Amino acid sequence: MLQLLVGQTLNGVIVGTLYGIIALGVTLTFGITGIVNFALGEFMMIGAYVTWYLFDVAGLPYPVAIWPAVAVAAGCGFAADQLLFRFTRNNLINGLLVSIGLISIIEAAALLLWTTTPKDMGYVLSGAVRLGGMSLPKMKLVVFALLAAVMFLTYAALSRTWIGRAAYAFSQNPEAAMLMGVRTQVLQSTVVVYSTALAGFGGALYATLYSLEPSMGGLYILKGVEAAILGGIGSLIGSLAGGIILGVTEAVGSIYLPSAFRDAYGLIFVVAILLYQPSGLFGAER
Amino acid sequence: MRRLIWSLGVALAASPVAAQNVVKIGQIEAQTGANAIYGYMSSQGLALAVNQVNKAGGFKVGDKSYTVELLASDTRGDPKEASIQLKRLLETDGAKFVFGPFLSNVFVTIEPYAKQFNGKFLLMGGATRIHDFIGTPEHDFLIRTWNWDAGPKGFGNLMVDRLVKETGAKKVAMLFQNDQGGKVLVDIYTPLFKEKGIETQLELFEPGTKDFSAVLAKLAVGKPDILFPSYSDAPLYDIVRQATEGDYFRKFFLVRGSLGPGLKNKDALDDYFVYVPKYFEQAEKTDPKIAKFVADYKAFYKRDFPYDQAPLCSSSCYDHLFMLIEAMKKAGSVDDVAKIRKELLAMTYDGLWKIHFDEKGEEVFNFDVVRMKRGGQISVTSVDVQ
Repeated sequence: MLQLLVGQTLNGVIVGTLYGIIALGVTLTFGITGIVNFALGEFMMIGAYVTWYLFDVAGLPYPVAIWPAVAVAAGCGFAADQLLFRFTRNNLINGLLVSIGLISIIEAAALLLWTTTPKDMGYVLSGAVRLGGMSLPKMKLVVFALLAAVMFLTYAALSRTWIGRAAYAFSQNPEAAMLMGVRTQVLQSTVVVYSTALAGFGGALYATLYSLEPSMGGLYILKGVEAAILGGIGSLIGSLAGGIILGVTEAVGSIYLPSAFRDAYGLIFVVAILLYQPSGLFGAER
Repeated sequence: MRRLIWSLGVALAASPVAAQNVVKIGQIEAQTGANAIYGYMSSQGLALAVNQVNKAGGFKVGDKSYTVELLASDTRGDPKEASIQLKRLLETDGAKFVFGPFLSNVFVTIEPYAKQFNGKFLLMGGATRIHDFIGTPEHDFLIRTWNWDAGPKGFGNLMVDRLVKETGAKKVAMLFQNDQGGKVLVDIYTPLFKEKGIETQLELFEPGTKDFSAVLAKLAVGKPDILFPSYSDAPLYDIVRQATEGDYFRKFFLVRGSLGPGLKNKDALDDYFVYVPKYFEQAEKTDPKIAKFVADYKAFYKRDFPYDQAPLCSSSCYDHLFMLIEAMKKAGSVDDVAKIRKELLAMTYDGLWKIHFDEKGEEVFNFDVVRMKRGGQISVTSVDVQ
């Protein structure tokens, strides 16, 4: 039983980083543009499908296939920002409605292109690491390492670069940031594009672990929003922590309780934390 | 004389142009969405059949010729959407024959509404839950277009028998989706296994689940001999992959879903035992009807034939349209639903499948059992249940 518990805790941590990358996109977008981009799950789906196509169909090596996938997701994010999101800045309701409409459009396009038949990408790295009776697929460990690295690099960039400081300044006081020379429109667009690129990167890694369907984005955006709320909207480290806590809660909960209600265990945990700490675990007190 | 010619001309001009005789066939299947795989294949087969009938000039009943108009709606697997589509088909379009649904959760939602039209239309669907209603009062409108698992001609019985004889399995882990379809499979197979002295473990998972590690690890603790997983390919690809990758299970027993997930992981599994309505790869080589169907599919859709998904086409699809037309011809009517139903239940049809219906309207058709061993070594057994 201990082996099962430890194994699933580790698995939950790994799965949680996938939630965390979406949560990071949610928190960045909300912090800078004032809208929650529910379509981030669809950009993850775009990244996943493009990766599958380039790796499985076009036959490119996986490390080469990822980058065009991220670029395509970012490109779609840029188009969405310029055509739609820039008209909804700081308008939560409009931004929400637009992003929900975008979900239908992107999902319909994916259905036309790739149909409902699940796409299962070939193995990128097969085999598992055996640790005292536990088995962890090697690819999951690679996915965890890459996602955690990207999230920490994002945190470092925001803390140590000019654009990062400009982003923090803008999120605290938009008028003051503008007066200090921060080009706010460019900043906001950059953040939207970066968050969709992150989602695309998450999708490229997701494709190495799970089968793809056009509806896959819906689950992950919900998890991403949950994780962002749990960790505290606005906290980058909170996004990763929130994702991991959610992943572990679901995995460990499924061991001791019926797995049919796995999603509920994470939600119950989120509600419990919010009752105690409404701003989330790492969010600023208001 | 001039007046006569003028009168004849007026009379001819006033006579109504002969109306095109059209039989409307409705279809309510999930063509998109998470559970679309069954509806998607059914809808492809039916569209192909309609095209072939109309291209051949339609069909004759009595001295009238008819063409078929297909009114296919995408329910997206959403019960509410299916209800709206069915209402439109019956009340606005006046369709008397509707194919679908394959999804049990959709069927249980539309059943109360459909029952109001008992005797006025036929619903030919593959949903497992249809079995609970077929043959009961006020449900003459139901015809089930999929083999029933249990009962004397049930393929489930035959599959479980083979499982015991060929693998000697004593403990089976069942992993099903937590929905109507999954729960019905639990109700069917738990007693079947118990009858054969096989111990079972059961876990349900939420629709949309992608990571099955926790539940597979939990099931593996009980050291069952074989995993009996869910019913649609979408989770099956993930279940089979994660089960073999995590070293939880290497033997699989399936009564829904396709060979696809097994083929993808053929080098990692030991045994993949699956009920497929037809193993098209082999049948194409030996049966001219199948070969023609595959060729017609490719010509019509201008894409490769989906061998691993095609077996699902048996439900409410290609053969059934031709059966319906034959029943109309024998009944001498395209809208006397009671007569047409009687003829349908009386016939044995030899198309892509050999099909007949029992006295309640439950379909019985021949099927294949495919067994794949490590490396992709396949053996196929055709089962004749006629």
